[in-house]
Parts: sequence; C-alpha cells; structure tokens
Amino acid sequence: MEILIATIVRGVGIGSTYALIAVGFVIIYRATDVVNFAQPALVILGAYFNALFVFNYGLPFPLAVVGSMAAMALIGALTERVALRPMVGQPPFSAAMVTVGLFFALYVLAARLIGSNVITMGDPWGLSRVEFLGTTVGQVDIAKTIISLTAIAVVGVFLQRSKLGLAMRATALDQEVALAQGVNVGRMFGVSWAMSGALAALAGVMIGTAGGGMVALDAFVALKALPVIILGGLDSIKGSVVAGIFIGVAEALTRTYQPGNADFLGANFDVVVPYLIMVIALMVRPYGLYGTKEVQRV
Amino acid sequence: MREINRWRRTAAMVSVVALALTACGNGDNGDVGDTDTVDDTDADDDGDGEAAGEVATDLGVTEEPCPDATNEDNGCIYLGILSDLTQGPFAPLGVEIVEGQRAFWQRVNDNGGIAGHDVDVDTYTRDNLYDTQEQSTQYRQIEPNILALAQTLGTPPTEAILPDMDADDMVGVPASWWSGWHFPDTDDGLILESGYSYCIEAQIGLDWVNNESEITTLQAVGYPGDYGGDFAVGAEAWAEANGVEFVGFVETAPNAVVGSQDAAVGQVLSAGADVVAIATGPAEVAEIVGGAAAQGFEGQFMGSVPTWNPALLDSPAGPALEAQYVHVGPWEDFSGESEAHEAMREALDGDLPTNDGYTFGWIWSYPLLAALEAAADNGDLTRAGLRSVTENLVVDYEGALPETTMSDNPDETAIRTAVISRPDADAPLNLSSVETGVTGETADAYDYTQRCSG
Repeated sequence: MEILIATIVRGVGIGSTYALIAVGFVIIYRATDVVNFAQPALVILGAYFNALFVFNYGLPFPLAVVGSMAAMALIGALTERVALRPMVGQPPFSAAMVTVGLFFALYVLAARLIGSNVITMGDPWGLSRVEFLGTTVGQVDIAKTIISLTAIAVVGVFLQRSKLGLAMRATALDQEVALAQGVNVGRMFGVSWAMSGALAALAGVMIGTAGGGMVALDAFVALKALPVIILGGLDSIKGSVVAGIFIGVAEALTRTYQPGNADFLGANFDVVVPYLIMVIALMVRPYGLYGTKEVQRV
Repeated sequence: MREINRWRRTAAMVSVVALALTACGNGDNGDVGDTDTVDDTDADDDGDGEAAGEVATDLGVTEEPCPDATNEDNGCIYLGILSDLTQGPFAPLGVEIVEGQRAFWQRVNDNGGIAGHDVDVDTYTRDNLYDTQEQSTQYRQIEPNILALAQTLGTPPTEAILPDMDADDMVGVPASWWSGWHFPDTDDGLILESGYSYCIEAQIGLDWVNNESEITTLQAVGYPGDYGGDFAVGAEAWAEANGVEFVGFVETAPNAVVGSQDAAVGQVLSAGADVVAIATGPAEVAEIVGGAAAQGFEGQFMGSVPTWNPALLDSPAGPALEAQYVHVGPWEDFSGESEAHEAMREALDGDLPTNDGYTFGWIWSYPLLAALEAAADNGDLTRAGLRSVTENLVVDYEGALPETTMSDNPDETAIRTAVISRPDADAPLNLSSVETGVTGETADAYDYTQRCSG
C-alpha cells in the first residue's frame, strides 16, 4: 500500500508537469488553430534561463522561476511576431511546419547555451522526502503538483474572468467575429504565445528538479504532452489536466509494477504507455475526453 | 473551419516517432569538398626531423598546405571526425572529445607534422547526432577527402559504417570502449581502440571494490547494448567467478526517453544489493544514486567512464555521490601526472576543459599517430598502406597508458588496468584519483577470447 501511494504521488507530480506543457499547446491551438511543435524547445530554454538566473546572477529560486517565465513569455511573443504572424491566412498545417523548424532552431540554440554540462535548477526540495499518508514521498513531487496545478488554475481564472481572457476566448471561437467586435486578434496571438512560453518555462523548471539535473536532450520529455492533448482534447484546458494526471499515474504505475510482474513486456515498457493510451483514445473517442466534437456539413 | 482531425492525426504521427526522436533532426550538412586524389610521391623537406623520404599517397593527402597551416611548406593529411556535437545523448562529451583531438593534432603540427604533412581535423568534422543514418550520410560525404577517421563516436554509429570502412580501407579511432573493438572479427582490424573495454572495466572496478569491502550481492544498471550491456556482462562474469549473487541487470534509458529513473531506483531499492555497477549517462546516474540514497539505500555504486560529469556535484545528488559512488576510468583524468597529461594541460595553457572528454580525445589519438608515423616510415601514406600497419602496431601513450600492441589476440595484449576515482569538490574536474594502475585478479584471469556483447 505504501508503495502504491508513493507511486501515485510520483505519477501525479509528473502528470501535472505534462498537463502544464499540454495547456501551453492548448492555449496556442485555441487562439491560432496551430499545434505548436516548438513547445519542447521552449521548455528546455526556460529551464536554462532558470539555471542562469540562479547560478550566474544569484537570484533566489522563486525569483529565478518568475524571471525565466518572463523571459520565455517575451521569447514566445517575439517568436510569434517574427515567425508566425506572417503565416496568418495560410493553412494551419503550413504554420505548424514553421513551428517544427522553430523547434530545431531553438533546440540547437538551447543545446549550445547549455553546452557540455548538466544543469540544475537550484530548487529548495532536492531529494528531501516528507511523510504522506503513512509513507514517505519526494517533496519535489508534491511541489510539482501544487505549482503546476496552481499555474493552470491561474490561467483558467485569467481566461474566464479577465477582459483580455474574454478577448482571447472570443478569438478562439471565431477570429473574424472577434475582429469585427474590435478585438486585436494579432495581439491575442502574441499573448497566447507569451502565456504558452511562460508555462513552458515553468514546466522546464519542474522537469529540471530531477535529482540529477537535466541535459538539453531532456527537452524531448515535453513530447509526452502530445498523448495528453489527444486524450484530453486538443482545445480543452480541463482535459489537459485530467489527461496529464491520468497518463502520469499510468506511467508511474507501470514503472513500479511492470518489472517483476510482466517482464515479458520488456524493459522500460512505461515509455510506451502514454502512446498506447493515445492510440486507444483515438480509436474510442477521437476528439478526446473534453475536446470539441467536430461537426461536419454533409 | 477547425481542423481538429487533421491535427489529431499530425500530433499522433509526431507522438509515434517521439520515442525515437532523440536522435532525429536536420543536422549540420557538411559541404562535399573537392576530391583531393593525389597519386604521387611527396618529399619531405621541412627539416623538422620527421622526414621519411618519398612517401606514396592517395585519398585524403595533398601536396597543398592545410587551410590555416601551421607549416606552410608542408602538405596536408585530412582526417575526418564523426561525433555527437549538438543533439545526441553524448553531445556534452563529444564536443570536448573533439577539442582534445584538435589540441593533440595541433601539437603534432607544432612539432613539424608527419613526413612533411600537417594534419587537419577541422575541415571534415561532422555531427553524427549519434544516429546511424546520419553517420552513414556524413561518412559518404567526407570519405573521398580523408585518409582516416580521427574519431567515430558511438558503437552503433560506427558499426553502421564498418562495411563501408572495410571497402574503403578506412582506419578509424572509436570514441567508445565496446569490447568488440578489441577483436578483428568484429572490426576488421580497422578500429584503433585505446584502454580497456566496458566489460573488463566492470571487472577491474569490482575487484577493487571487493578488496575494499567484500561484496555478497551485485546488481547492474545501465543502457542495454554495447555500453551498459557490455558493462553488465562484465559484472555478471565477475559475480560468477567470485561466487557472488548477481541479482540482475536493470535496463534503463536516457531521461529524454523514459522521463525519469524512478523505475531503476525502485529496482535498486527492492534488490538491495551491496554494490550496483552502473553504466548510464551522468544525469541518470545522479538521479539513481541520489534517489536511492534518499530512500535509504546504503550500498555502493560503481560507475563506468561516461557516468561522470563535473556538474553533478552541484546537483541535489551531490552529497550522495560523494558518499556512495566510485568512478572507474581507463586512465587518469585531466589532472593526471603522465607526460601526456602534462602536454594536454600545456595545450590549454592553464584553462580547464568543461569535462574529461578532452582527455579522452587526446589519449584516443595516440594509436592513429603511431599508425600514421609507421605508414610514413614505410613510405606509404595511402589508405591501404595505413591499414597495413595497424596489425601488431605498437602505441606509445606517453605514460597515460602502458605501451600497447594492437594484436589479434586481445586475451594476451588488451589493457586490463584502470584508475579508480571519487567525487571531490576540490579537484579540477570534481573527481580525484584514489588509485592508478589498478589491476584485478578476476579481470586478469578473464578468458577474453570473444567480445562480451553485441
């Protein structure tokens, strides 16, 4: 039972991080109809900025996190303005291909910035553990869960309650109508990318709190958000949260219980689990748990 | 109209390839240089004492000086480098290995070059992304212009081009310690390896750890294949030879693939072995050592060469590594005391490399230097001429390793010495040698008549 609890806490922790990345995908998708494949590069760049602020500029960890989120928000907005805005009016698939190119450019940049070393985040949790429901769990897993879900909640409240959030939702529903109502649609695109960049930075920091730090290649962990958005629904923040945690827990349970119980599946079968879930989701509920069901005129 | 279905399909496609995407990308496509086919004889007249009379040359050797030549009157020997420089899992090491090799060959040029030729390792350096396809592509592009490969990083990428290397008479220096490189039936005598193999490394290290504190149970953790797999075979052989219970090999993968090392940590905790022999990447080692220690594991970890990175001491796992981790290396780290180490420090003029990849690159280069000098002495710097001197080639490592003979009988000639180190925040690269020239009874007695893995 203790192992089960510890496993679930770990799963919720990493699942919350997946959800954070997935929400970044969803925000941009809702605003622009484009799936942003550059998100993993934004994640690793965010982690880099956090390490830079902590170790090179001596900022306390919380300030460094805020700083890295601000830096990535700026980079996200600039990226949209320079690389994506000219694609307005072009098929979304073309814009997505631009994001693929952006991914490689930003990833190579991050790899060069990080260089030959492992980077660490300077977080206060380290490898410390805490009593929880009769067992010990990593403080970092609790922290990941609280921070990620709080950030997502803030985004949700912002979108629901603020004037800017209303404008973003209007843009997401129908760009032309929003434009007719005086919404600066281009600005909404920029704000979406900025929010997505900030969330990516936070996710990068969460991934980088691993005991051994992280290397540039760890950016690819962010691709686990793709099964999350498929399962949760491409345009649903709520779906991202539910699916992220579900996939994180499923992965953690597989990591703990598959070795020794189902060895015939081979080593590291947990890697496959998110994608198996994605395939099943596509077969059973192609628009995801909370995604908008597509209506086609026939 | 929204194109959700299309996006779902696209996202799904990207997700499916995500498992293998760690090595995917648009690499640095090198230019295809001129085909410098020279079929003539060069006479060395630089007066540097390296003269070898008339030397036959063909591909990869020119009468014209190298770009930015150190010795303007010399011809040029072009060597290729296929390394992991940007996106692959060993890029942090690859970059420094290349730097070490550049410094090594610059020193050769500063000393007059080889038989009237400077050596160029810059023009045909390419990024293989640690990807077999990319390696093959880049090899095909640089092959017409080079005499040999000064570096081919990674066992799988190198294996991917071995048939081509055989057909091209292309000798190469591996940036890996797979046991297969010791055996001509695996590498066709083309690969000029240095030091032990992962398989022997595990046995030497375990002999040493066992002398410090008797081992009763042993576990191996690592990447499957010719790195972690080779290491694990050595560990299991050691356990069998010493009557120690081997509780299994935990196969893991880089964090970029598996996300975290939770599964490995769980299996280390549940097995509770005295010693864990580990062969993964540095960040993964730190996560496993730190994670296991935080949950009460008190055993020792013994790590293979590539498991160390100086930055690990700044990670949350730093204290656990200092307490529970020993590192096995084929030679002393950058701060070593041999003539070779002094020369590499002199080349950096007091600076420190980012990691010990620099030392690896430098020391790995000695066999190719010996081969080039032997071929030049024979008056034949053609590819075939270079290949012909590799059998029974004697390599002087300037004290970094014992003098070695490249033979087809590694059971007699393969190096079976190591250096044991521990994390040390006061050492130049956060690692200090505990004992050098370490040998082990089990490793020495091991019947090394075939490769351990692959």
